[in-house]
Formats: sequence, C-alpha cells, structure tokens
Amino acid sequence: MHELDLARDVMDKQLIDRDCTEMGRIDGVLLELSDDAPPRVDSFELGFVVLAERVHPRLLALLEWLRRWSVRKTARQIVQWSAVEEVTERYIKLSIDATETPAFDWERWLGMNVVEHLPGGKEEE
Amino acid sequence: MKKALQLALGILTAVGGFFDVGNLATSAQAGARFRFQLIWSLLFATILVIFLVEMSGRFAAASGKALPSAIRDHLGFSFWLGPFVILTLVHLLVLGAEIGGISFALQLVTGIGFQWWAFPVAIVIWLFLWRATFSAIENSTSLLGLITVCFVVAAFVHHPPLHQVAAGALPTLPSHDGATYWFIAVSIIGSVIAPYLFYFYSSGAVEDKWDRSYVAVNRGISVIGMTFGSAIALGALVVAAMVLAPRGIHVSDYNQAAAMLTDAFPFWGFVLFAASMGIACLGAALEVALSLAYATSQTFGWNWGEDLHPREDARFSLTYTVAIFLSALIIAAGIDPLKLTLFTMVINAAVLPFVTIPFLLLMNDRRLLGRHCNGWFSNAIVVMIVIVSFVLAVVSIPLAFIGGT
Repeated sequence: MHELDLARDVMDKQLIDRDCTEMGRIDGVLLELSDDAPPRVDSFELGFVVLAERVHPRLLALLEWLRRWSVRKTARQIVQWSAVEEVTERYIKLSIDATETPAFDWERWLGMNVVEHLPGGKEEE
Repeated sequence: MKKALQLALGILTAVGGFFDVGNLATSAQAGARFRFQLIWSLLFATILVIFLVEMSGRFAAASGKALPSAIRDHLGFSFWLGPFVILTLVHLLVLGAEIGGISFALQLVTGIGFQWWAFPVAIVIWLFLWRATFSAIENSTSLLGLITVCFVVAAFVHHPPLHQVAAGALPTLPSHDGATYWFIAVSIIGSVIAPYLFYFYSSGAVEDKWDRSYVAVNRGISVIGMTFGSAIALGALVVAAMVLAPRGIHVSDYNQAAAMLTDAFPFWGFVLFAASMGIACLGAALEVALSLAYATSQTFGWNWGEDLHPREDARFSLTYTVAIFLSALIIAAGIDPLKLTLFTMVINAAVLPFVTIPFLLLMNDRRLLGRHCNGWFSNAIVVMIVIVSFVLAVVSIPLAFIGGT
C-alpha cells in the first residue's frame, strides 16, 4: 500500500504488536502542523477517553470521573508513527511489545486478580 | 476430505445455531393458534437468513475479518457505537431467554421451579466456555442438537394434511385474531434472523482460520444447514398444529407446549421435549455468549479467541462470564421464560436494520473482498432485506402491544 487514506486505512484500525498480539485500535490520530510544511501524521492515540471525546464531551467527563477506579495508569496512550512496522488491510503492526504498554494494564490486572482465582484460571493447570 | 468433514460439521453447527428457544416458542405458538397458516413466515425468514449467513461466512473467508471487527474498521466507531450498545442489550436478553429455556427443561424433568435453575445453568454454560475449545463446543453441541430431529419425526408420525401444509407456504390473511397473527409472524422472523448468528458465524470462521478456499464450503453450510434448521422449526410448527390446535391450547406458557410430543411418542415424548429444549437452548446460549464476547473484543481491538487460555484473553473471557451471570439474573428474578422469549424475538426484529445495513456496505467493498464482492442479485436481495428489516422495525413494537399473547 503506497497511499494511505487516514480515515479509511488508519482510523479505527486494529493494532497488533511485534508478537502479533492484538493491543487495541487506533482511536485518534494526531497531526503535526507547521507553517512551512503540509500537516504530517505524528502519532496516534488509544484509550476509552479518546473514544469518548469523539462521541460527546459529557461522555468524556463521565469517563474522566470513572477513571478514579481504573487500573490503567495512562488514560491516553500515544504511539509514535515511527513505531509502525507494517500497514495491511487487516491490521497495523507495531514494533513495540503491547504487554508493556498501558493498553495491557486492564488485561494484566484482570488476568492476575480475577482469572487466576477462578477454577482453571492458572495457565499451568 | 478435510473440507468435506468441515462441511458436515458446519452443517450440524448451523442446524444447532438455527434452532433455539425462539424457534421453538414461535413455531409452537404459530401452529397452536393458526395451524399451518404461518408456515410462509418461517420459509420467508429462512430464505433471508440463508443469504445473510452466506454473506457473513463469505466476508470472513475472503477478508479474514469477522463482522463486528470489520464494521468498526470500515464504518468507524461513531457509526458502530449505537448499534453495538443496542445489540449488546439484545444479546443479554436472548441469552436470558436461552437460560430460561434450559431452566424450564430442567423444571419439567425435576419439578423444581425454573428460577432455581438459573444460576446452576449459568455455571454449566460458563464452565463449557471457560474450559472447552471452540471446536469441542461446536462439535459436542451440534451432535447433541440432533435430538431436535424428533420434531420432524413427530410431524411425519401425525400424517399432516399435505395440501394444507403446502397452502401455508403462501401468505394469506388471517380469518381471526389479525394482530396476534402478525405479531407471531414478526416473532418468527425475529427468531430466525437472530443478530448473534452472524457475529458468531463470522467470528467462528476466523477462529477456524477460513480463507478464500472456504467460500464454496460456506455456501454449502449456509444453504443446507439453515434449511435443515428450518425443517426442524417447521416440524415443531406442524406438531403444534396437529396436537395443540385441535385441543384449543394456545401456548401461553411452556407447560402447554411440553405435551407436544406425547401423542407421537407416548412413553418418551415428555422427556424428548425437555431434552430437545434443554440441548437446543444450551447450544444457542453458548453461541450467544460467545457472540457477545466476540463483538465486544473486536470492537475495542482486544485479544480474543475461544481457543486461547482465559489468562491470554482475560477481557474476552470475563465479558462472556459477566454476560452469562447478568442474563441468569433475569430468569432468577422469576420472569416467565416464554414471555421473555417472545418479547426478545420482537426486539430482535426491531433491531434488524442495525444488523442488515452493514451487510450492504461491507459486501460491496471490492478492496476487501475482491471478486467475492456481492453481485447484482445478492445486492438486490440485501436491499430487499434492508427494506423488510425497516418495516419490521416499525411494526414490531406496536404489534407486541396490540397482538402480544
């Protein structure tokens, strides 16, 4: 793919990390604006607050309020475009490890604090 | 050989996915109240669902994407948010109806009230999903689901008047209870074109790693599987027409439907009814719970897959866990399973536009599907389905108030 249509090929696209683990979707795109050059894609954002911002400011306010109970450290995860390794019809592959990013905070917390305590929840079983 | 086996298994799964508590309840009511007159609505809905299931499978095989994932990808979060929230609520209601069906089957066998069975049933469904792989679930429930063929056998045992059955295939106006007639017609369509079927089927195709070589297999599964499933629902309708209608039984609760098979199978009829209901609903409950977890995980881009250990996709696994226990609450609260089922089938019909419109948009994406895009004939069918779904959305809720039983 040589030409990228931001709305069609980037926004809402599935993200996978370097090990092909699904780590979320592109919830927002950040452009870099300068006076003497055309806008350039700088990075993209992941997180429920980014989605809420797209829907309605009140939903954003509600999510910001709910964040006091969130285990996710960074509500708005920003990934630099330079981390993009591959863009396909199905996914955008990154060169990072998803499990070490805020995108996996909930997955990790639920795995350790809920799944492991349920019957058959331990991997070694 | 492998593909032939998958075709056979797929057909069994499709039969299992087709026949559930909604089909049983609506077929029994249709036969009991209007004898063979509503067969047309079952046949009409079957034709529509064959096309939609075929498209769901073709889409997954050609693009490698399941429907919920593709809707977010290509139509965006703002488009998908409303339908996603509404369809999640509908999934919870359908799951509640299926849990109600299993609980009622257990009440028939044990005499213990259905509401007491809601949480034990929820635990069994959860354990299945928590411990079993996708293919184990697919194969076990579909093979056990073959017990529902007893409705077809019973229909033949009663020697129904074939000319009347054939005449029912053509729509006719009712001679009595017009509002109830149309309410049941809409409920039948809502029970056959259940949203979960498409999300489950396309996600299952991705789980089974279908590629473009599966397009033909998919066509066979959708046509033969849905036709067989419809034949079972037709069997239930014919049996209700032969057994319940002459006695003036209108099926206002499942207890009245439970005697459907005792004329054809005097000794085993009661147990066969309970077993058919319980197993069909168990299969459907597993599919609905998975469908909800698939749709949620794909919408937010989480790790998902029934073949992964719950530790590897904690959010996916906990989504179906929460859904199962929330839905069980509805039944544990003592809400009548039949009323819940009929209400849910009407809601299914009301939300159909949310399900059908994405088909029209996605199945014409040539970049995604290449030569497997819809042709003019498939598009004409989808446009017709979208129009029908809008009509159903408008009439279903008023009909539930005017003609609901």
